[in-house]
Amino acid sequence: MASLGYWDGFPMISALVCMATHWTGPMCYLRQEIQEEKMGFGKATSSSKAMKIIDTEKKISVLIVEDDPLIQKIHKVMMAKFGTEVQVVANGKEVVDLYRSGASFDLILMDFEMPIMDGFEATKELRSMGVTSMIVGVTSRSQDSEIQAFMKSGLNACYVKPLNAEKVTAVLNELKNN
Amino acid sequence: MGKTVRGQWHREILSSPSLSLSPMGGWQRNKGWSHSVTFTRMERNPLQRQVAYMRRSLFDQGYLDEQFVQLEDLQDDANPNFVEEIVTLFYTDSARLIHNIEQALESRPLDFIRLDDYMHQFKGSSSSIGAKKVKNECTQFREHCSARSAEGCVRTFQQVKQEHTILRRKLETYFQLARQAGLAN
Repeated sequence: MASLGYWDGFPMISALVCMATHWTGPMCYLRQEIQEEKMGFGKATSSSKAMKIIDTEKKISVLIVEDDPLIQKIHKVMMAKFGTEVQVVANGKEVVDLYRSGASFDLILMDFEMPIMDGFEATKELRSMGVTSMIVGVTSRSQDSEIQAFMKSGLNACYVKPLNAEKVTAVLNELKNN
Repeated sequence: MGKTVRGQWHREILSSPSLSLSPMGGWQRNKGWSHSVTFTRMERNPLQRQVAYMRRSLFDQGYLDEQFVQLEDLQDDANPNFVEEIVTLFYTDSARLIHNIEQALESRPLDFIRLDDYMHQFKGSSSSIGAKKVKNECTQFREHCSARSAEGCVRTFQQVKQEHTILRRKLETYFQLARQAGLAN
């Protein structure tokens, strides 16, 4: 091989090596595996690889309608943790305006007590506009009668604050099943 | 294996940061030893043990409930100081509410509906961070509102403020200790 003249040297030898691996099935596979392992080195990459598979599915879009900044922050981080895409507005009028301007969400988490337009009015309005998004009430009112009254506005479900992982899982499962 | 040899190994483990122990530790309390040696994977140094102990007692003594754990579960690399941020936000928010309630308690006659409204908000915030004792005092206050008892409202409001302050101090200490323990790792 060393006496091939002009084409002697690295390029030729590497070409030969490539040919050898190409023709030698198992060796070629092993090389590819090593390459992949090198690229996938580190925990972060392998988990982001896993995330990528999930990401090719469309993310669930969630709108949090809540006036209390503390609850806004908690619910926002909670929903983001479940892999949803989250937006936040501070009262019922804002969600109605959003829908009127053509926006739409897979899931609306609707607080009950809010200034300007409360959760009951906002839900009623959205339903009368023909909105079919899943609307889940989130209220600090825990009395049965109060929850039933809120449900009458057209909610799909209603939960007592605060939200926790269990409630969010239930809501997202409900959403996926519909 | 004599006590001396064990002692040496113990010291080695304490000074070796890269070592991680299995949850059950595998050590036994011995009469000649001064401290218990049940390690968990998380508790590598005395400071971390102290943090874990303090956290445990906040729950055992009823200052915090399950909702606080929910917040802890949300803390991760994307939100590394989430719990402390939420607690700080709570104390900022609630300072405003406390001020409003104090003012409302000075007006005569008392506007029980307004007071109840404020306390409803306060209770909501408290429960969202898992502030169990504060939340319970809020409930008491609202009962006095329903009963239209001015004396009851004034009295229980003092208790609300007291629990509110106690918890803040405990959490401040807890977060400070946790930070020190994290730095020492």
